Amino acid sequence: MDFVILSLVMLAIGIYGLLTNRQLLKVFISIELIATAATLNFVMLASSTGQGLGQAFLILAFSTDTAVSAVVLALLVIVTKKYGTSNINEILKIQEKKDSEAEQ
Amino acid sequence: MILEILSIGLIISACLALFLDEVVYSVAALSGTFLFTALLYFENGAPYAAIFQFVVGVGTLAILFLSGEMLSDKTTKKTSHTKLSALIGAGAVLSLPAIFLSVSSSTGTYYSTTFGNALWNLSGVDVILQALVLLTVALGIAIILYERKSGGK
Repeated sequence: MDFVILSLVMLAIGIYGLLTNRQLLKVFISIELIATAATLNFVMLASSTGQGLGQAFLILAFSTDTAVSAVVLALLVIVTKKYGTSNINEILKIQEKKDSEAEQ
Repeated sequence: MILEILSIGLIISACLALFLDEVVYSVAALSGTFLFTALLYFENGAPYAAIFQFVVGVGTLAILFLSGEMLSDKTTKKTSHTKLSALIGAGAVLSLPAIFLSVSSSTGTYYSTTFGNALWNLSGVDVILQALVLLTVALGIAIILYERKSGGK
């Protein structure tokens, strides 16, 4: 059982989801998975060497991760209310239409 | 054996969280990911990390459930059983390398640090990170206020 490979697989799944998903909430879930993969690596490596340092790093990482999540979710709600959809492609289309209307 | 089962569950729930069509079910699968991560931490002798993972996971999931209900399209089609079983199979296959492969690690000398000492030694980093968090929040608020102001004109 190797936790480095496990966190690498988690990271790969998160990056794949980040690149392929078009829903904003799914993109946010992908970012959460990437953060989980990083913290998994920290904690498992540190606990395998008998250090409490990994757990302390995890708590610091969580504090920043939670604050960033709150800001990202707030922006996500604003964008969805403004454009009426949470699909990135549709948001881009609406914005392009608005830009072309403004040019005319 | 239990670590292997937990890692398989972790990868399967991560796959389900990303590729299920309904957002609410995705968030439910993400709760499984957080739970399996917390259990992995606990099994590896990191109880504080497990507790923090669990508590932060519960908070994140509550917010995600609310925003998922608010933001999701009600017209999205339901996930078929074929796709569901394909996702579970893909997750199980993806978790195999973690069980059967291993990377070589150097056997260096490690000095053991207790959790309390590590927290105290990192208190300076904590202050810097808190400042960064406050800066991010202030930047977010400034962007929202600027958007509102420019939108009102």
